[in-house]
Formats: sequence, C-alpha cells, structure tokens
Amino acid sequence: MRLTRALDTRSVLRFEGGLDLRLGNLAAGFGLTLAILGTALWSLTSGDTAIGLSELMSGELNEEQQFALMYVRLPRLLLGVMAGWCLAISGAMLQSLTQNPLADPGLLGLSQGSMITIMILLLYLPSAPPALIPLAGLVGGLILLLVLRLLLRGSVGDGLAILLMGIALDTSLSAITALLVLYTPTEISLAVSTWLAGSLYLSSWSQVSGLLPWAALSLPILLFGAPFLRPLDLGDDRAAAIGLNPARVKPVLLLAAVVLTSMAVSAVGPIVFLGVMAPHLAQFLSAATGRARLILSGLMGGWLVLLADLIVRTGASQTTISLGLALTLLGVPLFIITLRLRALRTLFQS
Amino acid sequence: MMRFPRMLPLCLILSATLPAFAGPVTDDTGRSVDIPDEPERIIVLHEPLLGIPLMDLGVEIIGAYGRGDAGELQSAVDFTTATLGDRAQTTPPHGIGPFGNINIERLRTLEPDLIIGTEYDAAQADLLSAIAPVYLQNTGTGRVRGFEVEADLAGLLRREEVFEARKAPYDTQIGKLRKGVADILPGDSFLAVIVHDQINLVGNTSGMVQALEDLGLVREDIEGSVSNAPGSNFAAPISAETFMQLNPALLVLMNSYMDPEQGEVAVHARLDRIAPGWDRFMMPAREGRILYLDPAQVTSPTVASAEHTLRAVEDWLIAQH
Repeated sequence: MRLTRALDTRSVLRFEGGLDLRLGNLAAGFGLTLAILGTALWSLTSGDTAIGLSELMSGELNEEQQFALMYVRLPRLLLGVMAGWCLAISGAMLQSLTQNPLADPGLLGLSQGSMITIMILLLYLPSAPPALIPLAGLVGGLILLLVLRLLLRGSVGDGLAILLMGIALDTSLSAITALLVLYTPTEISLAVSTWLAGSLYLSSWSQVSGLLPWAALSLPILLFGAPFLRPLDLGDDRAAAIGLNPARVKPVLLLAAVVLTSMAVSAVGPIVFLGVMAPHLAQFLSAATGRARLILSGLMGGWLVLLADLIVRTGASQTTISLGLALTLLGVPLFIITLRLRALRTLFQS
Repeated sequence: MMRFPRMLPLCLILSATLPAFAGPVTDDTGRSVDIPDEPERIIVLHEPLLGIPLMDLGVEIIGAYGRGDAGELQSAVDFTTATLGDRAQTTPPHGIGPFGNINIERLRTLEPDLIIGTEYDAAQADLLSAIAPVYLQNTGTGRVRGFEVEADLAGLLRREEVFEARKAPYDTQIGKLRKGVADILPGDSFLAVIVHDQINLVGNTSGMVQALEDLGLVREDIEGSVSNAPGSNFAAPISAETFMQLNPALLVLMNSYMDPEQGEVAVHARLDRIAPGWDRFMMPAREGRILYLDPAQVTSPTVASAEHTLRAVEDWLIAQH
C-alpha cells in the first residue's frame, strides 16, 4: 500500500492488488459512518421512555426501556438506514445509467409502479398478510420496468429516452394513485396517504429481516455492477469505445435499481427526492465515481433518513410530521446550500 | 403430596393479580386473540366507529387515536359528544399520538389490557400485540350493517344484556313510528347522501341506516354505488347528474360534518353549488320527502345514532301532519 497522487492531484491510496482508494473518499466515508453511529445513539436515547446513554451502554434496562429499544427504536433505526441506503444507491445508479443528474427512482416511475400494486393490494385485500406487501411492490416495480423496456424498444441505451419515458409513466401512474386515494373510503385513504408520505412507525423486526437480504443485494451490485457505472458516466459512445455494451449492461443495472427501489418503497413508502439529494450531497463531500460514489451515496441516504426519523419521533407530539416531510425540511436546505457552495467553489477555481 | 397445598395461596395471589383471560376468540380478520375476562383498560384505534359504541354500552375507554395527550380532540368534529351528549364519558380518553403516527411508547405507558382496532388496522396488529391483545372488528360496508358493531362489541365484552336494555326503548319507538312512515311515503326506498365538496352516498355502517331499515325502508339501489365499491366504509361519491335523476321515497340529506352550520338551509346552499336546480327537478324535494340529519349525531354504528335518527323522523312526521 502506498500513498500517491492521481492525475487530478488528489491523494490516492494504491494497494498491491490494484485497488485504488482516494483519501477524500475514505475520509468522507469514515465521517458519514461516524455521523450515522452518532445519530443512531441520539435516536436510541430519544423518545417518551427515558433511556440514558450510560444505561444503553451498560445494557441495564428495565422492561419498559427494553420494550422502547427493542420494539420501537432499534427496528425503526435499522429499517430507516437500510431503506435510505437502498434508495440513495438506486438514485446514484439511475443518474449514471441515464447520464442525468436529476434521475431518481421516483422520477422514472419506479416508485409509482411499486406504490400502485401495493395500493391495489391494500384496497382489495386489506387483510392480506403484511409479508405480501414487499412482493407486491417488487411485482409493480418489475411490471413498470417491463413496460418501460417495451416502450423503449430500440432505444434502451438512450439515457434521455429512459428519463423522458419514465417521467411520462410516472405522471400517468401519479394520476391513478390520486384517483385511488380520492375514491377510496376515508379510513383507507388516510392509511394510504400516511404510507404515501413515507413512514417508519410500523417498523418491526420482521420488516427489518424482510428488507435485509435486499439491502445485502446492494453488496454484489457494489462489487460487480458499480465498475460499469464509471464508463457509463462518460456517455454511451465513450463507454462503447472502451469495450462496454451499454444496451446489454444498462437493463441489468436498471433491474438492480428497480429491485432496490421496490423493496425500500415497500418498507417505508415512496421517499421522494432522496435518490437525487443523497448522491449530490455525497458528491459535494467528496467527488467520487463507481463503487465509491455508490457507497458514499448509500451512507448519506441512510444518515438522512435516520435524522428525518428522529425529527418525526421527537417532533411536536400533536402534529403529524411524515418522514417525507421531515426529509424535505432537513435535506432541501442542505441541498440548496451545497449547490450554492459548489457554484462558489467552481467560481473561485476558475 | 404436601407441595400442592403449600402452593395454593401462591396460586390464589397470582390469580388475583394477573388478568383473567376469557380464552381465545377469533376476531373479524380471522386472528385468534386471547382477551381478558373483564378488560378495564381499553384503547380504540378509531373513536367514532369503535369508541362511541363502547361508550354507548357504558364501557370507559382510556385511550383513542385522534386525541392529544390530555384528551383534547385533534379533529374538527366531536362525534362522541354529538352522538352521546351527557352519556359521553366525563374523562376523555388519552391520545396515542398524531394521525398516521401512533406513538407506540406512549400507548404502552397507558397500560392497556385490550386494544380494539378496525379491519383496516391489520398491518399494525402484530406490532401492537406486543403491548396488549389486539382485537380487530369489522366496520366496513358490506361486512357489517347498521349498529352491528355495537352488538358485536357487546358480545365480545359479554355485555349482551346491557345492549338489549339499551335497545329496548329504541325497538318501542320503531314500533310507534313504522306505520306512520309507511302511510306517508309513496314507496319504501330511501337514499342517504352526505354533501361535502361532492355528493356522496352514505355507507351501511351507521345507526341511521339501521333506523331507516327498521322502519321498513330499503336502500335505493344505484349501479356502481356503495354496495359494490371496494370496501367502501362511509361515503362513495356520485355525480350530480346521477343524483338528480333519482326518485327515492325518502331522501335523507346531511351537510358535511366539517361545516359548523347544519340543517336545511346549510345543506341546500351546498347542494345548490354542486347541482344547481336540484330542488326543482327532484321529486322528493318538490313533494317535501326530505329528512335533514346532523351527520355527527347519526353516523356512528350505535343505538344512540339510531335514536337521533328516530327523533328526526318523528319531528318530520309531525311536520308532515
């Protein structure tokens, strides 16, 4: 292992096996991991049931504290981090696949596809076992991908075509969602609206164990799929020039993004804008491509959802703050500040 | 051999301190639930549909969804007081978190021994079962009618006698009014609508529907309406055109419960905006076959709501004569 400088003068740790790690990326990853751990501790010790840091560390908790920790706070924390991780990674992948910094699982209609099937399940089979919900979400996401692929026949490698067709499908499905919410009984509308705004309050260990294998699926994606994103970031022609077949690689990566999105949406509802916000905030911390970009985006996504849920749980007790709203309140100012800082940085550098 | 008698006092103490369980019952979603013999700390996940029927049976509830920490209402309409009046419990139930975000930790601090939800709460039943037994009661149109919810809950809590006593004066009143209604109406159909920003057919789960049906009236069947909408509970919208073509023997009109103004003038004003000229086209309007009701009083699935409806019918019959 040796420390050298890359062509852009940034410090790189080069390992003997050929692995290169930029010091900036390492520092950002380390910082985000610390931020997640710190926020997790804050979250675990916040709530109606008082749990001190010392009690948490010593494990000497009474029955009430054990309940709050094991049934409420820990499942919420783990589910939130995993869902944020999956949605942010999916967003970062879609941005590379479409070569468009605005691409987001929501913008391409993937979240809507999952939502519609889940809503139909909730409407027509309100007593269906909760285990069917992720399956319905996955089926919806895959159907949407199939429709997208059929509509894009001949231009599946065209990032702009994918984005435009995704927006068209998303808009159509949003209208169906609105129709379903409008014409369903109030009780169901309320439940569905809550879920549509994103929620972690029904988090349970079964949901955690349900999402865990899908979140783990991101690891092989990071290992084997992420390296393809680097050439795809350069555009299809350049990627093809260095031996990559975008028409073959893109559908596989798109499928992976659909699966990650569908499972996260099934668990916490459609969290809009996270797929755009997290990769850009991570990119502001440390410019990265390929695996490093996905990992930093995933960590940023997990941290943002964790912070947003903390606001939901400890915010005003009489006011409903949805996860989506908390995330917007928290993330959008951060997003705007980073965009302005990035613009200023570019100005000074030029 | 001596061990058993020695353990007897311990068993007696334990049986006195632990809640006695009535044994497993199957709730309306098919779940097997062990409920206490005499639950004393009940939390409901829907106050108008579950809390009011329980209070009508004289059962105190300690917590309800849709209320603040001190029991203050989070919604604009107080269905409980409107329906039960002085019979509403004096200490309001505690809140268990804002809408859409039940505070599980706070719910547990209320130490419930039974949680009652609707069939729409199936998703959270397992989670809440870690705190207390969760019984899910059907409330949706097509699954229950009239005040069956109150009757079902009376059966669950072994208060059938209370329910029968509660219902006896209602049955007497039905007997008194039934003939008068039949004599004055040209047919036996009724149509109940609630007018928000659109016209909505009212579902079957309410004391109002029970009273009208017990008076011998039959719901006007409209294709594509409440009866075949997916799981419709309280209201299903119909177009102004469809509404104006209908000619039930009795038209029941309710103004939106969100509107502080109730009664004939308020509901006419609202309907005039949605279906201008309705009162000149519709036969029930031209012939005075309209019953005006306050939805906050008559739409809970309780005997109390059915009694409010009967009082309105009685006043209407007197006015007709």
